[in-house]
Amino acid sequence: MKLQDVSLTRRSFLAGAVAAGVALVVPLRLPTWAGQGEAAGLSQAFIRIDTSGQVTFRLPTSEMGQGTHTGQAQILADELGADWSSIVVGMPNQPTPDYRIPFIGQMRSVGSFGIRFWHDPLRLAAAQAREMLTQAAAERLGVAPAALHAGNGFIVHADSGRRIPFGELVGDASSLPVPEEPTLRPDDQRTLSGRGVPRLDTPQKVTGKAVYAVDVEREGMLYGAVRLAPVFSADIEAFDESSVAGMPGVVAVVRVPRGAVVIADSWWQAKRAADALGITFTATDADALSTEAIDTMLRDALDRPDVPVSTLRGDAQATLSSDGQVVEAEYSVPLLTHMSMEPINCTAESTEERTELWIGTQGQDVVRMTLENALQLPAERLFLNTTYLGGGFGRKTHGEIALQAVLASRAVNGRPIKVLWAREDDVRQGQYRQTMRCRFRAALDDAGNITGMRIRLAGPQMGREYGMDPEQMAQATGNLANFDPFSLAGLSDMRYVIPNFVVEHAVVDLPIPLCPWRSIAHSFNGFFFESFMDECAAAAGRDPLEFRRSHSEGQERMLAVLDRVAEMSRWSEPAAEGIARGLAVVESYGSYVAQVVEARVDDDDINVERVHVAIDCGHAINPDQVEAQMQGSVIDALGAALRQRVTIREGRAEQSNFHDYSLLRIGEAPSVAVSIVEIGSPLGGVGEPGIPPLAPALANALFAATQQRIRHLPLSEHIQV
Amino acid sequence: MTAFTLNGREVDVTAEPDTPLLWVIREQLKLTGTKYGCGIAQCGACTLHVDGEPVRACVFPLSAAEGRSVTTIEGLSEEGSHPVQQAWVALDVPQCGYCQSGQIMSAAALLARNPSPSDAEIDAAMAGNLCRCGTYVRIRAAIHRASEA
Repeated sequence: MKLQDVSLTRRSFLAGAVAAGVALVVPLRLPTWAGQGEAAGLSQAFIRIDTSGQVTFRLPTSEMGQGTHTGQAQILADELGADWSSIVVGMPNQPTPDYRIPFIGQMRSVGSFGIRFWHDPLRLAAAQAREMLTQAAAERLGVAPAALHAGNGFIVHADSGRRIPFGELVGDASSLPVPEEPTLRPDDQRTLSGRGVPRLDTPQKVTGKAVYAVDVEREGMLYGAVRLAPVFSADIEAFDESSVAGMPGVVAVVRVPRGAVVIADSWWQAKRAADALGITFTATDADALSTEAIDTMLRDALDRPDVPVSTLRGDAQATLSSDGQVVEAEYSVPLLTHMSMEPINCTAESTEERTELWIGTQGQDVVRMTLENALQLPAERLFLNTTYLGGGFGRKTHGEIALQAVLASRAVNGRPIKVLWAREDDVRQGQYRQTMRCRFRAALDDAGNITGMRIRLAGPQMGREYGMDPEQMAQATGNLANFDPFSLAGLSDMRYVIPNFVVEHAVVDLPIPLCPWRSIAHSFNGFFFESFMDECAAAAGRDPLEFRRSHSEGQERMLAVLDRVAEMSRWSEPAAEGIARGLAVVESYGSYVAQVVEARVDDDDINVERVHVAIDCGHAINPDQVEAQMQGSVIDALGAALRQRVTIREGRAEQSNFHDYSLLRIGEAPSVAVSIVEIGSPLGGVGEPGIPPLAPALANALFAATQQRIRHLPLSEHIQV
Repeated sequence: MTAFTLNGREVDVTAEPDTPLLWVIREQLKLTGTKYGCGIAQCGACTLHVDGEPVRACVFPLSAAEGRSVTTIEGLSEEGSHPVQQAWVALDVPQCGYCQSGQIMSAAALLARNPSPSDAEIDAAMAGNLCRCGTYVRIRAAIHRASEA
């Protein structure tokens, strides 16, 4: 079936999909939200069962390691009663409005939405399909539908032992009306959801057969390497093609925004020529930009006389000027880069008439908009194949690589081109997690309870950087005034009970390209807030767990994960000899995660030996993958907290590769114990919520070990041991 | 022309002799399981075996492969039957999976010379293989599992 040949409206699409071969096709009934209109392009939001019994679904969530395709397949197969091996997960090959996720209004894999957002639409469509198959079987067998059930890809009549495979029923079923309100399976009949079903992608990933964008092969393909301006705000001035004309394999040099792509017969040849290319870049006043200058901008912003108030509850100012004990602290986090193991790349075949891309992207709509803006490329002429991502972490939400590949392909008459950034480009070309600075002030009463808190955050307004307008931001956050969820999440909406509470955001525009980094604002606000809670507990002379619990009245989910992690770590008992413990709890993306870090601090070394994790993500569709995400998040966040940072000098990044921007290595990885708390909460995300508590839990453990409060990341650059 | 054995089959390739073996294998010989991650032997994503020893193909010149036996992830076993691959499946080690070919090749080389490695020996042998997804906990467990197979 060639989906792209089917015409444009949903109705005619469905007719076309059925006409393309006998199959039962049930559209996904998607929730509506602002910005979603009638599908302007081709709808591919459906589940499809063909005569062989194969069940295909297409959702927009990219598989970048979070296991989302397996979880989605579990939800579908469970409700449908399908044979697990019959499920085929696809991705839409055009970014259509149907696939826009809420809040951002784009097809993007961000915000840990993959399971929690698609669960209900998938389940509903599966139930509809099951009832249609059941009805068809009932008519054929001459029994009541209630006497039948679906399982393992059959409709079964238990009384007589007769059964019919789905594939034999799809023709009849497809002529039946789609039931509006099908009956969902009761929870005790869901046999896949809640089980650690093996990942669908693992067999390909242990044999080298999984295809990432960088592995895509096209007939006659050429390869491109980039040479881009090292200073972020600089552009290309000129290049000298003759400087590389005689080099082996070189085919062409193509101008792109901020630089050039050198095209050659092999990537290595292209890379060598790109390094040798004579090229000049424009001078900009950002040449003077440095980490120190950025820090000064943030410090100055914290001292501004008037800063817009984003959240206000009670009268924090009055509380803070009263006589009680006041705790103050200031924290900061550095710029971070992403270090996805697969560097940025895209393969393109592009002419004026038709553009096809192969790209491991989290941001299909961003790619579309980048090409629309730069080339006036109409959406219906763009076909975008999302491959597996060799890591995303927020970085693969940008479109510049697609534009480079498209321009390169067009320069050689539409031949396929694979443009791959060297690791050095990946590190130096930015799209960094922003640096932020945050000042806290809290008032404690005689009992050591927080009566008021004032938080002032300095840094960029990321919602705007991501293209959200103020109206979208307000809608996304229940109309909180001045609330930019991409900067303030984790502060303004924190769950502790603090009667007087003010959050202010001093917006600082940084002349550096920025983008999301796993857990977005929670990646720094978790560190800020949970470090400060620990400082308040210490100032009050109270136990960090007891202090948090006493400020969590009525917050059942918070209390549940705190109590679970306390039990796991035997918090009430003294720590083992030489071990210091730190605690943190953060709600993000609909899940609550509490962590206890157990660290040993020796002469000149920090060893994290064990981390306990309790998570409430609602019903865990795949507990084994929840565990995997928690294990991985702890290790990922630990590397970042200990030593990752990008520093700027003369307007450019100083780091370039893994030797000066290092991930945690296996010998440094702690053991990670994970416990899933199920108390009937709504579904929450899993890919990101394991990140935010780690840095503060570690800093709090270091405080317990050394009485030093490390308020600035990375910790290894600020601790004195 | 450089001749070597790749996954048990003789190959002849033409490229500049200092071209890293990684690019020859990926682009000319079309075996893409071996990955590019850093180009400076810092991440291990390109790990393959040369005469049984783990090697970072991103810095291993083609000329050095002359006459030698090269094994990539595709040649480690038929259909993923190597004990390391089976242990990786049993524990669902991969997340994004990009580094895992290199991890598996390093682990297989370790077990070939040390059938029952300790945690410390695993950490030492696997220190050159990075994973941003943070799958190390399961990698360690899977190597122990494979060593018992």
